[in-house]
Amino acid sequence: MQQLKKRMHNTLITIAGLVVLTTSAFAFAGEKPSFAPKVPHPENGTTECVEPEDEMKKNHMNYILHQRDKTMHEGIRTKTYSLKECINCHVPENSEARFGDDKHFCSSCHNFTGVSIDCFQCHMDRPMEGKATKGKNPHGAEATPTAIKATISKYLADTSKTVQDTKDAGNE
Amino acid sequence: MSNSDVNISRRSFVEKSATAAAALTIAPGMFLHTVAEAKPADQAVTSAVRWGMLIDTAKCASGCTACVSACNTENGIASHGRPRTDQQWIRKVTLRDKQTKHEISLPMLCQHCETPPCVDVCPTGASFKRDDGIVLVDRHICIGCRYCMMACPYKARSFAHETVDNTVDYQPRGKGTVESCTMCVHRVDEGGTPACVEACSEAEHGAMIFGDIKDPDSEISKELIKHGGKQIRADLGLNTGVRYRGI
Repeated sequence: MQQLKKRMHNTLITIAGLVVLTTSAFAFAGEKPSFAPKVPHPENGTTECVEPEDEMKKNHMNYILHQRDKTMHEGIRTKTYSLKECINCHVPENSEARFGDDKHFCSSCHNFTGVSIDCFQCHMDRPMEGKATKGKNPHGAEATPTAIKATISKYLADTSKTVQDTKDAGNE
Repeated sequence: MSNSDVNISRRSFVEKSATAAAALTIAPGMFLHTVAEAKPADQAVTSAVRWGMLIDTAKCASGCTACVSACNTENGIASHGRPRTDQQWIRKVTLRDKQTKHEISLPMLCQHCETPPCVDVCPTGASFKRDDGIVLVDRHICIGCRYCMMACPYKARSFAHETVDNTVDYQPRGKGTVESCTMCVHRVDEGGTPACVEACSEAEHGAMIFGDIKDPDSEISKELIKHGGKQIRADLGLNTGVRYRGI
């Protein structure tokens, strides 16, 4: 009996401690409590990406992958979805941070999520001298090529459909 | 992309080319020629052009390596101090006639074949030919098997044995993949000329001409029609995009 009481007492203390800890964490984090890393806006003052932020968080890899093949095989060199332009805008010139450091734009999230990528085994993880984007919202002026956009949307739709189909098939 | 999209862009490309050709006949010149070659960034390359090179061995100076150094600088190729395994996209070759002792010097690079053996043998599709005739390695899908290096009769390809840490943003290169001359595709897509050709004319040898061999009005075509241009190992029937004179 004595032992059970002691155990309950300990549990209560632990729960109380946890409550205090989490509330303070929420208080520090501001209105939106989140444990995800804060992905910074580019230092050049740009606040809007080429697509809405939520879309980019979820699907940036598809945009880059699609552009990759278009550039490599068809010589289409539009800047909107090019990895080079991601880097030119998101990584400041003369940045000390390399891919892998928590401070690097890409690794700030990739390290946290544990998703390893091999882009930077070949591609530069920082802008070349004089290539960093200086102005705000550099892509605002350049209209997104409609054909490319349509293809990507179709690709995304197909992919989600396939996922859905697979799930349905799994349930049966 | 649907077929109709392809047709529209192709049609507009043809229209633009026709306009450019008209401008050419009015006032032929280097600048107009360059304008005619430039392609809008959002348009795919087409088989309406075929990029090629003509190398005049009589003008190529023995001992001059301007093209080689220009290529290395442009594409961020650095030596590891191990010549046998260092990457090399272009090299100087000296040919000596045993009988006459006559020597000629020429740059050897990817010949950008019409029917490239490297593409035939590639197991992943990484080795491919663009519609405009430029033969490339898609390093995203290259598994580094080096079969293409075996198949190439010109020894034009190299393997990156070591980590590459001096890449440039327009020419990403990395360990474990095969690479070769891209005909400076990043420049060509913007209407430019390959670095080696530029360096050769800067060195005042002018042994290399670059251009569209399908356009009868281009400098290279005119030279080819007038003086011809030989293929190295023509017996293989590869129809190379790089042609030589004086061999």
